[in-house]
Amino acid sequence: MLVSVLLVISVTFLLMQLIPGDPASVLLGANATYEQIAELKATWGLDRSMFTQFLKYISNFFRGDLGRSLFYQDPVLQMLGARAETSILLGLGSLIVVVGIGIPGGILAALRPRSWVDNFFLLVALAGASIPSFWLGLMLMNVFAGKLGWLPSSGFTSILETGNLGNLSSLVLPSLSLGFVNAALVARTARSSMLDVMQADYITTARAKGLRERVVTIKHALRNASIPIITVVSFTFAALVSGAVVTENVFALPGIGSLIVQSVLKRDYPVIQGIMMIVAVLYVFINFATDLTYALVDPRIRYR
Amino acid sequence: MQQPRSAVDHGTFMENFRRIGKAFGSFATRRRPTLIALAMLFSLLVIVAVGPIVSPYDPDALSVMDRLQPPNSKHLFGTDHFGRDILSRTLSGTRVTLLLGLSISLFSIAAGLPLGVVCGYYDRVGLVVMRGVDTMMAFPAIILALALMTIFGKPGIVNVILAVGIVWVPRMVRVVYSATLSIRETTFIEAARALGVSPRRILIRHVTVNLLSPVIVQATFTFAFSIMEVAALSFLGVGVPPNVASWGGMMNEGRMYLTRASWIILFPGLFLALSVLSFNLIGDAMRDQLDPKLREVM
Repeated sequence: MLVSVLLVISVTFLLMQLIPGDPASVLLGANATYEQIAELKATWGLDRSMFTQFLKYISNFFRGDLGRSLFYQDPVLQMLGARAETSILLGLGSLIVVVGIGIPGGILAALRPRSWVDNFFLLVALAGASIPSFWLGLMLMNVFAGKLGWLPSSGFTSILETGNLGNLSSLVLPSLSLGFVNAALVARTARSSMLDVMQADYITTARAKGLRERVVTIKHALRNASIPIITVVSFTFAALVSGAVVTENVFALPGIGSLIVQSVLKRDYPVIQGIMMIVAVLYVFINFATDLTYALVDPRIRYR
Repeated sequence: MQQPRSAVDHGTFMENFRRIGKAFGSFATRRRPTLIALAMLFSLLVIVAVGPIVSPYDPDALSVMDRLQPPNSKHLFGTDHFGRDILSRTLSGTRVTLLLGLSISLFSIAAGLPLGVVCGYYDRVGLVVMRGVDTMMAFPAIILALALMTIFGKPGIVNVILAVGIVWVPRMVRVVYSATLSIRETTFIEAARALGVSPRRILIRHVTVNLLSPVIVQATFTFAFSIMEVAALSFLGVGVPPNVASWGGMMNEGRMYLTRASWIILFPGLFLALSVLSFNLIGDAMRDQLDPKLREVM
């Protein structure tokens, strides 16, 4: 896992080296003298060789220093921290939608294959896989915030700072639009995995023992069908991050996703670098955590 | 010396291509969703071909008198804040979208196919390169595309093709790699090796030819995902430049007028969703028909 983290850092570092122009002259503007640029470069260590810079970057990374924003002069990590709350809450909200629609939908469809329930969820899953989340977000905003006025249309005020749980209502529409499009894949996986398991002999045995159908479905079938479902739920992490970049932008949420878009428009490359790094490292960690979850769900899997 | 064909005969490129087309054709006519998807794809292609002729207005013509008109008999899809006709702009966006989708899919094949074949055939190369490929896949698609757009500088059609194309190459490499690993172990490759066929010829004439179905299926999905991603980039203002009518760009411009003129966003989004849907359906159908085992790979 450490190797993967190091590789991620290296790729990000190399990508950022490809950006044309050097950050010192960008920051100082057109009127800067040659000496001023050279001085700033020396303070940032940009006059050293690429390899030295790389080593410095890695050691800084593990000490929690991701550099400073060119535009705001703030440490990147601090900027990310200030915006983490929104993104984490949005992520959790969408995950609730993904799991809440995806898994029950898949199970219902699998219990009655080729019935109208199955066809309905197949249709929803297809629509979910094809509708862009930002378009769905705009349409929901138009109806529920604009026309009906039930929910706030945009923005989000911190709950940690104000202590007002009512602010969560700002995240309902974003979570719905982001979660719905990603629930599709989970529903399809849950369906096929449940269909496989329901054919197994131990399900027949459980029924023959006279267990109620609900116990058979939840305790015997779902648990055995859960490994592919967990895998696909962990896959949605990357999809949720991608979607969050656009969704935060649509709903004007002060999260990490809207920060990266602003940074791209301003070419604030230490911030882009920091976000790419954090997201990719998180991805590696989530894959690792997923592997550990398998052993929790299925006692036959043991890691030595 | 002429290679003996019978021992290792598994069809030329064109024969394989025709076989795939035939199998898919007979399959598609039996399944209604696939048929609908093919009809949608066909309509999109018609729009691309005759769009400029049938479109009622110049997609870029401004008309302040007609601004923000709801759909009516003069403007079927309504007009935007500059009085431009949404129908004409949506039709013109179809061309841009399909052109970008096609270029990105072809780019992912051109770069991913050779890389995947070589990685799958030579263990040592595969070991190193696949590590890099997996690392690239740790970055969520849109974040990598945004970073690449920063590196390339300003928005532009070619830059979008490169940025989104590079994002999808690792996924193509993965598919080709795993398919090559299994083809490598088949008896006809063994036979070809025993006959003394050169590695290069094995890779081109024997391995690549048999990769046609997984590559076509993956390219179809790449098409679907990439047009969605291009729209997202344009929506964020870093994709297709604003002077070109694109679906994502139109939705971005319409945001200010969402509650007053939702049709500016509704129609390009609908076209995008239907295009993605038809490519997803066609991809699913081809995968089921050509090789059910691929379900596990993709």
